[in-house]
Amino acid sequence: MTAVIETQNLSKWYRNVLGLSDVTLKIESGITGILGPNGAGKSTFLKLITGQIKPNIGNVTVKGEKIRNNYSLFSIIGFCPEQDSFYEEMTGWQFITSLLKLYFFSTFEIETKAQKALEIVELIKDKDRVIRSYSRGMRQRLKFAQAIAHEPEIFILDEPLNGLDPLGRRKIIRLIKTYKSEGKTIIVSSHVLPEIEAMTKKIILIHQGKIFAQGDIHYIRDLIEAHPHIISIKCSNPRELASRFIREDYVLKVHFGPTQDGLLVETNNRDKFFSLLPSLFVESNIQVEEITSPDDNLQAVFDYLIGK
Amino acid sequence: MKHKDNGGVTFFLNSTKNIFSVFFSLGKRAKKTKAFYLISFIPVVMALVIKFGQILSERSDIGGIYIFTNIIMAFYLQFLILILALFFGTSVCSEELEGKTLTYLTTRPISKSAIILGKYTSYTALAILMTAAGVVCSFLILNVNSLLDFSLYKILLRDLAVLSLGLICYTAFFTFIGTFLKRSIMFGLMFSFGWENVIQYFPGTTQRFAIVHYLKSLLPSTSGGRFSFLLFRLEPSSPGTAIAMLFLITGVFLAFACLLFSLKEYILED
Repeated sequence: MTAVIETQNLSKWYRNVLGLSDVTLKIESGITGILGPNGAGKSTFLKLITGQIKPNIGNVTVKGEKIRNNYSLFSIIGFCPEQDSFYEEMTGWQFITSLLKLYFFSTFEIETKAQKALEIVELIKDKDRVIRSYSRGMRQRLKFAQAIAHEPEIFILDEPLNGLDPLGRRKIIRLIKTYKSEGKTIIVSSHVLPEIEAMTKKIILIHQGKIFAQGDIHYIRDLIEAHPHIISIKCSNPRELASRFIREDYVLKVHFGPTQDGLLVETNNRDKFFSLLPSLFVESNIQVEEITSPDDNLQAVFDYLIGK
Repeated sequence: MKHKDNGGVTFFLNSTKNIFSVFFSLGKRAKKTKAFYLISFIPVVMALVIKFGQILSERSDIGGIYIFTNIIMAFYLQFLILILALFFGTSVCSEELEGKTLTYLTTRPISKSAIILGKYTSYTALAILMTAAGVVCSFLILNVNSLLDFSLYKILLRDLAVLSLGLICYTAFFTFIGTFLKRSIMFGLMFSFGWENVIQYFPGTTQRFAIVHYLKSLLPSTSGGRFSFLLFRLEPSSPGTAIAMLFLITGVFLAFACLLFSLKEYILED
């Protein structure tokens, strides 16, 4: 399979801050997930491959052509930026049709495509409201709509699921998968592993501006599985719950919090822990107030993987 | 779907036209436009007050066209067009950076020069329309008794043309400043009310380094009266030279703005 996007020794720094270092990649059609904690260099990478910023070293080609200042390539690229910014005084409809105008479509095509995009993201009823009055989720969906409205071949989506409710996330994920089945190329960034996992098996891990790992999600999953997780549970009877936990082989440690209304459980098998948790609560007749995972984020995983 | 004619003049003009149409309609709705509409109607209020004063006192020893000319010189030429050009010109680039909306334009199949030129023309057109509305209203109010004197309309047209040229030229200059400097408004204010207000009164060729010199060269020198200090030591250039210089300044600064915007890397800070 030929590469749609190719980078060679791509490096970028902002004054003395490293943004990206020596990234050489070939991205083929299908969905590629770019995963990394906040500030890892994901957005810098996406801005470089869309030619918005120029690399200090290296180069980027999209379909064999250099991207920087190659405006015609943007006819086939749909970019969804991370930042939550809009022309606030426009309505959703005006925003989409205005941007479609810049592709030289006829008025009929503009209206048809805008209608279709807004229907896909379920904003058609709110199309005449000014963007300023949109909720966070609506704004995110509108941002997604502008990236898909001109029906591009390549989608570059920077944290597209941010701010969406679970239902909205599921719909966007399903849509992204549909584009994959149509043979399109989709690059999605996220700092949340399950989000990427729900879309693709092909992932690139970025950390501190470097490609940390690349390949099948199972490899990354295996690394993460070995990472001990701490889960905090607030419940009606923490001591009773603790006595149940210590019988399980996947539980490594149990601590009681200072307030005595909860406990911290350390496990080396996060998935098994969460799958058995509901039955444990039911059997012991314990009422749960809150379950949180203080280190359930990529930063913790990366820190663990690099041996911090 | 890749656009075939992405390097041609037609493509460039169409891109500019599309950007113009998007930002002209966006600009009409913008809050700043509404605020500037109010400011541009200050002379209309002044004209109404003066006219009512004349009617109530039954005195009309100062002609309407005289007051109108002085309003043009003192308010429009030395204040309003500078303010409009400053805020509209610098915002061509800075509003995209501050609002972090630049990405929406730079990831479309249009050149960066077309973005600058399209936004520049749309904002200049808005500023001209805004100015013209106030000027025409002031003219009609102040000359309500002599509306059938068609020679007065020549003055109106001439003044409108000079103010439009001023807006075209100043907005181009401030568009360049906006693409170049982060704190462009501060620099623009210093330029407008420092440099432009001082240099124009310098003797000899020095006054030719102010844009307002060329604008004033296109207006007849009014004599005497309370506003004579505004024309202190004006050594006008010929109308042909003045018009050529204004277009030259416009062209040069727009070219620099396009070049800079195409080459410079703008980082949208979080």
